[in-house]
Amino acid sequence: MSLLTLEAAAGGNAISELLGGIAPEGTPTWAIWLGAAGAAVGLLVAFVSLVAMFSVWLERKVSAHIQCRYGPMYVGGWHGWAQTLADGVKLLLKEDMIPLGADKPLFVLAPALVLGAIFGALVALPLAPGFFFADVNMGLFLILAFSSLTTIGVVMAGWASNSKWSLYGAMREAAQVVAYEVPLGVSLFVPLMVAGTFSLTEASAAQSGWFGMHWFIFQNPFMLPAFIIFFIAALAETKRAPFDLPEAESELVAGFMTEYSGIRWSFFFMEEYAAMFLMSAVGAVFFFGGYHSPLTAMFPDEATSGLLYQLVCAGTLIFKSFVGVFVMMWLRWTLPRLRIDQVMSMGYKYLTPLALACVLGAAIWETIFA
Amino acid sequence: MSSTTTTREYFQNVWDSLATTFAGMRITGKYLMQKPITVQYPDERLPIPDRYRGIHYLEQEKCINCLACARACPIDCIEMDAIRHGKELEWVLFTLDYQKCMFCELCVYPCPKDCIHMGTEFAFVSFDRSEFNHDLLSYKGMSREARIRKREADIKKAEKEAAKAAAAAEKAAQEAADPETPEEPAS
Repeated sequence: MSLLTLEAAAGGNAISELLGGIAPEGTPTWAIWLGAAGAAVGLLVAFVSLVAMFSVWLERKVSAHIQCRYGPMYVGGWHGWAQTLADGVKLLLKEDMIPLGADKPLFVLAPALVLGAIFGALVALPLAPGFFFADVNMGLFLILAFSSLTTIGVVMAGWASNSKWSLYGAMREAAQVVAYEVPLGVSLFVPLMVAGTFSLTEASAAQSGWFGMHWFIFQNPFMLPAFIIFFIAALAETKRAPFDLPEAESELVAGFMTEYSGIRWSFFFMEEYAAMFLMSAVGAVFFFGGYHSPLTAMFPDEATSGLLYQLVCAGTLIFKSFVGVFVMMWLRWTLPRLRIDQVMSMGYKYLTPLALACVLGAAIWETIFA
Repeated sequence: MSSTTTTREYFQNVWDSLATTFAGMRITGKYLMQKPITVQYPDERLPIPDRYRGIHYLEQEKCINCLACARACPIDCIEMDAIRHGKELEWVLFTLDYQKCMFCELCVYPCPKDCIHMGTEFAFVSFDRSEFNHDLLSYKGMSREARIRKREADIKKAEKEAAKAAAAAEKAAQEAADPETPEEPAS
């Protein structure tokens, strides 16, 4: 429990069991392991792409309707649902440009690192009981570590681009993430204390029953402020407005991704939306009941291992995550960007002490009442 | 920015930032729920005022080739020619060069037959400059509304003629079916 143990994909998940079941007798274990890993990677890539596609479309629609416009309406027929697909094809076909002065290996590696880190973080996210890529008992640590790893990629991209805009963006990203990692981690101590576990599967399982009344947010009066702090810190962590200083299109062209184009640029874009989804999912798991909802509570106990239950659970968590993503977009199109000193003072002077106060209060509450 | 912040100001700041964020989100949320004010342009258009000065349209059958509009034009962009056969006019050309035209409407006023008008069509895109020298004799030069009116009138006319023909045919059939009707003796 206290050790960060990364269980291998073959350890005990559904994919390897399935492959082991259908593989002919005598297939070596490593082949099953490789097959399972390949299938898992394929599933992850598909999942991230779909999430990013839908989120980009949603962002366009939300921004458009907040500005009393329609947004994309033609591509694909129904309200331009295929607009992102068309854009993806366009980005794939674009010329792959690397600036002459760029540090080529780092320039190429940076988008891959950024996107790979998000894949790594999504591994620990359970969509339903028994539907996960790896049951990591320190899952939250893994997710936080991997989502911080994207910062390395961003700094790498900014440095390797050999452009002042990129470098400024990367420096801001580094400063911002250093400031906001602390309140992000500390605010998550509150649900951790309530849950008593770092594992996302266990935390989700602990919130079942009672038609949502077992959600962690109702367990402790300090959960709501902790959630607000977590949400703000997650906004800063995912570089979303009003904390989009690393991009800051009105000041820094496009910040750290100024020199990127085509599919490499779209990696950064996919990372941003996948990170939004991931952060919302973590918020949903540790504050709002994970994959449990009044709908899943209606299933009788015998049915909780069925496929329908699993699908409803996965749908619930995805829905909750997209509610979080929607609120992030709503905030983006409401608030103007903060200045860098405002961002810093908010992180260090407000969020960190308030998060610590929440932890203290929650600890006292848990000691007395739980 | 003051260098020191009192405890009261600190919590005031926290409260203010939350309250203003929620106030802003309420406003944007209201806009999110309301119907968009833009229209899907090529499919639906906002109404254009009647006196809008767009591309001209010509009521060819009323025009008498008097050249009043061409003379009134300050930049000489109207050219017209017709051959007269008694009372009938055979049109050769009536062109208006939209590379020059400044949409001043001065050609409309002197017309004795009130047959040249400013239309409401404004979107005029072409791959070739020569296409801007516009032939007003064709439907192409008419405004959208004029074209619609013209088409409606044509349809009505066709219907009327069809009805007339049908009535005539019915009458003929009746006459053929009724042998008691005394036939006109051919003399």
